[in-house]
Amino acid sequence: MALIQTHEVKPGMVLAADVLSKDGRVLFTAGAVLEPWHVQVLKTLGVAGVEIAEIEAVVTPDQAADYTRAAFLYVNPDHPAMQTLFEIAAERVLRRATRGWVLPDVATRQARNVEHLSDVFGPGQASPEEIVQHETELASFPDLYFRLKEMLDSPKSSAKRIADLISGDVGLSAKLLRLVNSPIYAPVSPVDSVARAVTLIGTNELATLALGITAINYFQDIPPELIDMPTFWRHSLTCAVLAMILARRQGLPPERFFTAGLLHDVGRLLLFKKLPYASTEAMIHARENFLPLFEAERILLEFDHTDVSKVLLAEWKFPEAMAQAINFHHDPMCAADPQSGATLHLADIMANAVGIADGGMYAVPDLDPAAWDELNMQPTELHSLIVEFDAQFEKTLAAFL
Amino acid sequence: MTLFSSSMTLRAATPISDAEFKELRDFIYQRSGIWVDEKRKYLFENRFHKRLATLGLKSFDEYVKLLKFDPRSAEEMKTLWEIITTNETSFFRDIKQLESFQKVILGEVLAEQRKKGKLELNIWSAGCSSGEEPYTLAMLISESLGLELPKWKVLISAVDLSPAMIAKAKEATYGDYAFKTTTEEQKKKFFVPEGANFKVKPELARMVSFQQMNLNDDAAVRRVPKSQIVFCRNVIIYFDDAMRTKVARAFYDNLLSGGYLLLGHSETLHKISTAFRPKFIPGAMAYRKD
Repeated sequence: MALIQTHEVKPGMVLAADVLSKDGRVLFTAGAVLEPWHVQVLKTLGVAGVEIAEIEAVVTPDQAADYTRAAFLYVNPDHPAMQTLFEIAAERVLRRATRGWVLPDVATRQARNVEHLSDVFGPGQASPEEIVQHETELASFPDLYFRLKEMLDSPKSSAKRIADLISGDVGLSAKLLRLVNSPIYAPVSPVDSVARAVTLIGTNELATLALGITAINYFQDIPPELIDMPTFWRHSLTCAVLAMILARRQGLPPERFFTAGLLHDVGRLLLFKKLPYASTEAMIHARENFLPLFEAERILLEFDHTDVSKVLLAEWKFPEAMAQAINFHHDPMCAADPQSGATLHLADIMANAVGIADGGMYAVPDLDPAAWDELNMQPTELHSLIVEFDAQFEKTLAAFL
Repeated sequence: MTLFSSSMTLRAATPISDAEFKELRDFIYQRSGIWVDEKRKYLFENRFHKRLATLGLKSFDEYVKLLKFDPRSAEEMKTLWEIITTNETSFFRDIKQLESFQKVILGEVLAEQRKKGKLELNIWSAGCSSGEEPYTLAMLISESLGLELPKWKVLISAVDLSPAMIAKAKEATYGDYAFKTTTEEQKKKFFVPEGANFKVKPELARMVSFQQMNLNDDAAVRRVPKSQIVFCRNVIIYFDDAMRTKVARAFYDNLLSGGYLLLGHSETLHKISTAFRPKFIPGAMAYRKD
């Protein structure tokens, strides 16, 4: 605890004791994180000084900005959207740091002992085709997935048939109901049956969500020690929620984008399974060279996770519109529908930016300026988008776990 | 509501023009063979920003001129290599590769030398960073030779582009970070504690000779003693195809017949060289000069 003169008080500092006004009323309570307006009030009221908590390794706004900037070294710093995303990301980093988060140093960022891992294929021995083939020959994809797919394809599928199919799987229907009751839909009254969920959000829409959940569940068995799976799932779901919010603003079908967001890194999941050591080497290479992970994959493996998803999703006969968005989220303007590609592209970049304050350690991929133009947005809209995201995300994550 | 009292900008560095970037990139490439992709322009701006300020230079153009024509050039090159190279490494990194190397490759090479009655072993560690790799090799060799070790003449020629890394390697003293892939047992066996750090045992350190070297410097490369084994891990990923081809040829020329080249986990000679015969060893690939 230290007495700090008011003119030296900075936003981000934490009060160690209540601040009293001249007549003895409590102005601010101990523990408050000072924001600029607090400082202004202190100055206006002529308070001489305040007790500030001495947190070990206090992170200054400059340090938070530098830490965040290091994750933005791959992007065009002059693009207004990236400037806005940087502000959003730095704000989150500083906010978390004032609550006691210690910014990871270089050693922590690179430390990972994966020496026990073995790859299925030797160096340079596997193409995306061989990797996918190795998987599809070994394990069969859930039957439920193909039945959902069949119903999605058939115009004759009734709401009742789809509801019955989903209800037949206890785990899936429970998860779907939690999702439908989460803030991303925020129903007026709780939805307690799949049949009601179908009425509320639509037959195809619910089937699309079910398809995504079934597909991603296929990878639930990846051992958590292999990579940091909680971080992976958090990134995937962040991307899903952001893609859904963006899609609503773009007038695109939200469920498709939620599902595409959830599965956008599905190629990476298969890479973890087949080439765990090489994937980890790519992660380390990305971190130490300030590269986005997909660039590090291209350098070390000569292909990236979207090359794997192209083959995998084709093998699964995954609905083409979603597959396109997933496969081209790093090259959005090459997607058959650039608007869809751009939507997922931006959602992924935003998820990376938001993830920095969650301990994400990879460089944010650069924004394709043509994709940004395609979306017809103003940079300031990104702020309101994030507000919406924050209101929905944590509870949606809870629904998913 | 923001915690930042003033606005902050993503751009923190002086912009580098396309022409300046190309000039600096080409200069680095000519000198080191390291190829810096256009996509890393912003990283470049950022990394060199502080350096330019320290030197009191106003533009990248002035910096390139200093590198090319100034008497301070040689000194500045040392810093340049600091800025552009990364040094991720640790003792016993990629243990699966090292174990099969020890069992299969080293075993074969040692047996061959015994048969010839030449108890000599030369290894070239190209791109040795702060020394973890060549010292690890010394440890594996001492393990394999056991009591035979004093009878052998072992030389590991370890080179790196960065003078700072070479200086650090010569110190042979390491903190925790270097041991993230090392077992306690290995640590006890091969190191002596020194304060909070650990120092490579002198009988192992003696096998390694360090030298700053640019793999693009043909004359220097030719002076490396002929080897039975070349290790070059996580180096050629920074090169373009022409430079990869060039170093592959240099390794081939350096190797004695029957010798082996070992690359990093994800690196191959695929599309680079057909001179070597690839040999699968569990967890890795070795390239043999027949």
